[in-house]
Amino acid sequence: MIIAGRNISKYFPIKSGSLFGKPLMLKAVNEVNIEVNEGEIVGVVGESGSGKTTLGRLLVGLLTPTSGHIFFDIPDDKLKEYDEYLVNGEKEKYQKIEREYSILNKSGNKLKSIRKSMNIVFQDPYSSLDPRYNVIDIIMEPLIASGQLSSDKRYARAMELLDEVGLPRDFAYRYPHELSGGQRQRVAIARGIATFPKFLVLDEPTSALDVSVQAQILSLLLRIREKYNIGMLLITHNIAVISYMADRVNVMYAGKIVESGPKVDIILQPDHPYTKALISAVPGKSVKANRIILKGDTPNLINPPLGCSFHPRCPVAFGICGWTIKEVYEDLKYLIENKYSEILDNKASVNINNENIVIFNANLDKVKKIIEEEMNNIRSLFAIDIVEEKEGHIQITIKKYRVPKMVHHKNKMISCLLFDLNDN
Amino acid sequence: MEQNILLVNDLRVHFFTRRGTYKALNGVELIIKKGEIFGLAGESGCGKTTLGLSIMGLLPRNAAIITGKVLLDNFDLIAPLRDFAQKNINNFNFRRSENIIKKLNDKLVNIRGKKISMVFQDSMTSLNPVLQIGYQIAESFIVHQPNQLLKRKLARVNAKQNQLEEILDMLKNGASEDEVVAFAESNGLSGIEEQVINVWRRNDMSEANKEKIIMSLHSEKLGFFEKIFVFSNKNKAQSLARVPGFSRMYKNTLIKEGYRKAVELLSMLEIPNPDRVVKMYPHELSGGMRQRIMIAIALANNPELVIMDEPTSALDVTVQAQILELIKSLKGRFNTSFIIISHDLSVLAEVCDRIGIMYGGRIVEISSKEDVFKKPLHPYTQMLISAIPTIESQDLRGIGGSVPDMRNPPNGCMFHPRCPYVMDICKTKEPKMLEKDGHLVSCFLYGEDS
Repeated sequence: MIIAGRNISKYFPIKSGSLFGKPLMLKAVNEVNIEVNEGEIVGVVGESGSGKTTLGRLLVGLLTPTSGHIFFDIPDDKLKEYDEYLVNGEKEKYQKIEREYSILNKSGNKLKSIRKSMNIVFQDPYSSLDPRYNVIDIIMEPLIASGQLSSDKRYARAMELLDEVGLPRDFAYRYPHELSGGQRQRVAIARGIATFPKFLVLDEPTSALDVSVQAQILSLLLRIREKYNIGMLLITHNIAVISYMADRVNVMYAGKIVESGPKVDIILQPDHPYTKALISAVPGKSVKANRIILKGDTPNLINPPLGCSFHPRCPVAFGICGWTIKEVYEDLKYLIENKYSEILDNKASVNINNENIVIFNANLDKVKKIIEEEMNNIRSLFAIDIVEEKEGHIQITIKKYRVPKMVHHKNKMISCLLFDLNDN
Repeated sequence: MEQNILLVNDLRVHFFTRRGTYKALNGVELIIKKGEIFGLAGESGCGKTTLGLSIMGLLPRNAAIITGKVLLDNFDLIAPLRDFAQKNINNFNFRRSENIIKKLNDKLVNIRGKKISMVFQDSMTSLNPVLQIGYQIAESFIVHQPNQLLKRKLARVNAKQNQLEEILDMLKNGASEDEVVAFAESNGLSGIEEQVINVWRRNDMSEANKEKIIMSLHSEKLGFFEKIFVFSNKNKAQSLARVPGFSRMYKNTLIKEGYRKAVELLSMLEIPNPDRVVKMYPHELSGGMRQRIMIAIALANNPELVIMDEPTSALDVTVQAQILELIKSLKGRFNTSFIIISHDLSVLAEVCDRIGIMYGGRIVEISSKEDVFKKPLHPYTQMLISAIPTIESQDLRGIGGSVPDMRNPPNGCMFHPRCPYVMDICKTKEPKMLEKDGHLVSCFLYGEDS
């Protein structure tokens, strides 16, 4: 593995409401495992705010993770051992591997040499190039910083790189404002590969470009991968780009990877309900009949939904996906006090105490019938465990939720209770 | 025969800038039919947005319309700008141009928002952050149809309980909308019918609840000032509204009613909890929601033409799918034509009937949405299609070269420096739009137009 992340989390503190209160935490990346092999393009897709960019920045060391470890150039068997130790809880053994390979435990010259072998290409070529440097200076800068070549060789290497990315040599003394978007992105890529890195993060490399230019940049990246055997992490929201470029795909939602596996299995046979919806939402020439339209928006990451963070939007969510008593209460209140108030003679009222929902002045059979009827429209009703009559009112208890774990399914990893249950 | 709503004829728009003349549009020909959704695709800098803005007459002061007409129902929207530019082409004065634009704005107040409206690209910046959503929607009713709002109020005052019951019975027995309208008019209640029907059409509440709301529409009590405006005839109400002090009361009356109508409009667009949303401010809503509000404002006065400039490019794929579904569902319900501008051809293929491809300030090909992908004719369209990555295709080819510098555009056909089939004639003569296999294409490969 050229790079491997284990249980990486990144929380950003947000100002809390009160002056002395604890700062709230925005959980941008939450317990993510990711691996990139040499010469492999790994895609990360997700909606905006799902933590894709933060993950990329964590892997190249631009941000420090709140918890978890990032291993650089770790042999595959060591990584396997590490995973085993982690599962068995053999603290001394896994800490030894962490000391040896984790970039978080390195400093000074060692860190510098690792930094040399990783780089990142940013999303917006209009703001990631220094307007006061000309093209050749921009490309030579990482070479100067890493101090590997003498000045003549640096110049020769920079010129070589210009050829490599398909820019004429007389562009060397132009400034970024004289270049078009596609040309700037080529300069950014040349800067990214200048120090012969082994690992390159591409953060939305083509989202600011037009389609015709995008195709040029994508084929340039593929050519570079062939030539230098660089492992790449391609971050994008464009599923078509991922399906063209990547070997393996990770789908992120609300700071977590929900499905990961080989490209073909993810794009053509998605299994996680979110991946299914995401891929069916891609507009394309083959207009799909069974398009899944998700309701609602991406969750707030300061207070993410409990259990599986996708459950409020999930079209197939069921009882233990993470419904809280409050969510069930609100839906029941709407049903019984508004939608079906006629049936219950306008008298029924819904209340909540710590563990139960209590309905006053209602008929048990009618309430049961309402719940049964609405079950398929309002998914939260699946969480209702027992409906019983107690001391003249109706008491409703709900099921306990579970947090989905990453499990093997076919040849991918999925974090969804649908597959978790089948395996047990 | 299908009726044409909009006709753009040989439109050429140039911008005078410090670094030379930017030739944004170079002879656009376009016809929009009634009730169709037309897609406009192209790379950035090809003039898509400029075309949209020219149709609205929303050009900056350094823009000169060299030639061309924009006819909306045979009314030329940009005639004063064109006449000014043609007279003063060699000596273009920005300040005088600004005066002309100001005069044009006064003239177009009754057209913009009422007959033709636009949804802008960035929904965050185009909604006013200090005004409630409801007010921003109500504003378009207040400006364009204040009398309609007063009429609605009057109808509620005059309506009797038994009349509402009668309307309800008609709806329950499956009466058409025209019958309800006719009934309301014959009883002197015009204005009530849309309120009843809009509540009736909602599917987010039970029938019993709907009945309750409809039955509560009668015998409304009015405040003192409201009475003055509602009961006086429309000329009198408007002249009263000019009196200081009264004007505020007049506006308050309209705003109150406008909020009511905004709720109806939002529920028609299937926005959840419309009563709560109208009291919110733009920052409280998500991106997809704001875009829906923008669409609601554009549709408020049932315009003949709505121009949407990149309606989904700031949104995520799953939200984009929601918005596209909404646009598709609008097509049947409103008697409106749409122009959707986007750089993403696959988005257009979802919703449009016809698609036009722009390059270098000119529409190079117009065809049905199936034909764009299956048998594109213009070389640029062909290359553009093969450059778009899709889930199915694994073969990508970029277009060599880059978009022409519109300050020094190439002579003849704009695409000739990048075109693989370039001929001698391409370098000297501008191709005209020809009809070929049901497409409109401007390329010399398909014959010469003398």
